[in-house]
Amino acid sequence: MRLMRVEKLEDCFDGSSTCTYCFDQAWTREAIQQLATLGELTYFADFPRPFYRVCAAGGLQVRGVEGLSHWRVVGGAERHAWLQKMLAR
Amino acid sequence: MTITANLSSRRRRLSDLAAAGPIYLNNAAEGWPKAPGVAAAVGRALEGMPVEAGRGGAIGADPIAACRQRVADLLGIPDARRVVLTCGGTHALNLAIHGVGLRSNAIVVTTVMEHNSVLRPLFHLQQSGRARVIMVGLDPGGGLDDAAFGQALRERPALVAITHASNVTGRINDVARWFEMAKESGAVTLLDAAQTAGQFAVQPLLCNADLVAFPGHKGLHGPAGTGALYVAPALDLEQILVGGTGRHSESRRHPPAMPERLEAGTPNGPGLAGLAAALAWHAGHGSTFRQGSRQAGEDLRDRLHAIPGVQSFHTAADGAAHVGVVSLQIAGWRVDELGQVLRDSFGIVCRTGLHCAPLMHAAIGSAAEGTVRLSTSGFNTDAEIAAAVDAVGRLACA
Repeated sequence: MRLMRVEKLEDCFDGSSTCTYCFDQAWTREAIQQLATLGELTYFADFPRPFYRVCAAGGLQVRGVEGLSHWRVVGGAERHAWLQKMLAR
Repeated sequence: MTITANLSSRRRRLSDLAAAGPIYLNNAAEGWPKAPGVAAAVGRALEGMPVEAGRGGAIGADPIAACRQRVADLLGIPDARRVVLTCGGTHALNLAIHGVGLRSNAIVVTTVMEHNSVLRPLFHLQQSGRARVIMVGLDPGGGLDDAAFGQALRERPALVAITHASNVTGRINDVARWFEMAKESGAVTLLDAAQTAGQFAVQPLLCNADLVAFPGHKGLHGPAGTGALYVAPALDLEQILVGGTGRHSESRRHPPAMPERLEAGTPNGPGLAGLAAALAWHAGHGSTFRQGSRQAGEDLRDRLHAIPGVQSFHTAADGAAHVGVVSLQIAGWRVDELGQVLRDSFGIVCRTGLHCAPLMHAAIGSAAEGTVRLSTSGFNTDAEIAAAVDAVGRLACA
């Protein structure tokens, strides 16, 4: 799973720290389960398309849907840098 | 890792709906699907030879005039020349607010329900010393504060600007009564009908509005980039945009007569052809459409309100009228997360955040995150409303 690009997501609020992370392939259930190493993983298996959320240290939140190749990530600049470093490993 | 309970039968049902395409509940931002005939009319206008309506050498029927007449019919006004065609609601509101000639801290009364398309032009004028804005808040029931409005009128405002319906809670305001009071105090009255045109009767003569602004792409389900401003016969707005009109070209002055007075440059012919088609469709089906839209909104509002854990921001308990807009939050979920999961997991398109109405969110206590807003139209089916209620219910107990 390779991170292709990170796009800042503009919304209503000044100083919004939400970004879209785009990957080279869709997230499978097996790949999602490995995200538990980043923080507390919650996996909503019974939704029409299963949804997952990872709450990591420092208020970082990673959210996505199984079968899609992007995340929405909320967190400060430092936490984004940490996440991108973790993904590069 | 937490894995929530499996509800396979319901999941299959919702999956079937999702497979049929997204459920569109973002009509307060832009009406979709477009009214039947709109796409074809825009296509014909783009593919056909330009008509150059109103210009020397124009050939064939004038689609701009046809659109103007359709708007006049919608508003129930006798003279289509009082209709200015614009490139949207914000354009129309700016023509109105900057055109009434506010000077030297002129008093303007408006409300916390307003969209930034009203608030920002007013604050702009306030910053330059041309206006002083008095803001009317909410009463405990979520409606506009009657007593505060009466108090504000004692300041003898030059302009009173009120939205017909909140784009956050859907609450419809009793503008006829308020505008009557405003006119008695000598004010010009401006109605922002962005959330009601096409969804609710908007008749300036009945609601005492001197100015009515609305876009074509919301409740009318016409193309984006279109809109209109009605200007009462007694009003001569100052010209904000001047330039080519195709008429009186020998003059250095922009034509003073309506509607050219407030229109300059080449009009959005294809867009206005599409708006005319939308209005033609509404002329035939508008009553049924409005009834369907109201029913869908009421159904959604009542059913969401009954779900434990869902905080819906509305005022149905006191019998107030609403357009099909419902704002909510769900305990345990961030607002922006709800928007994501509704769209990507449940296939429900909605809008989250402040909806360009920051003062309204402050007034209802949702300024920190905003709300999830679900907004219906007469095109929404019972099955779509049921699916949205089901999705919110599942999120509330997840």
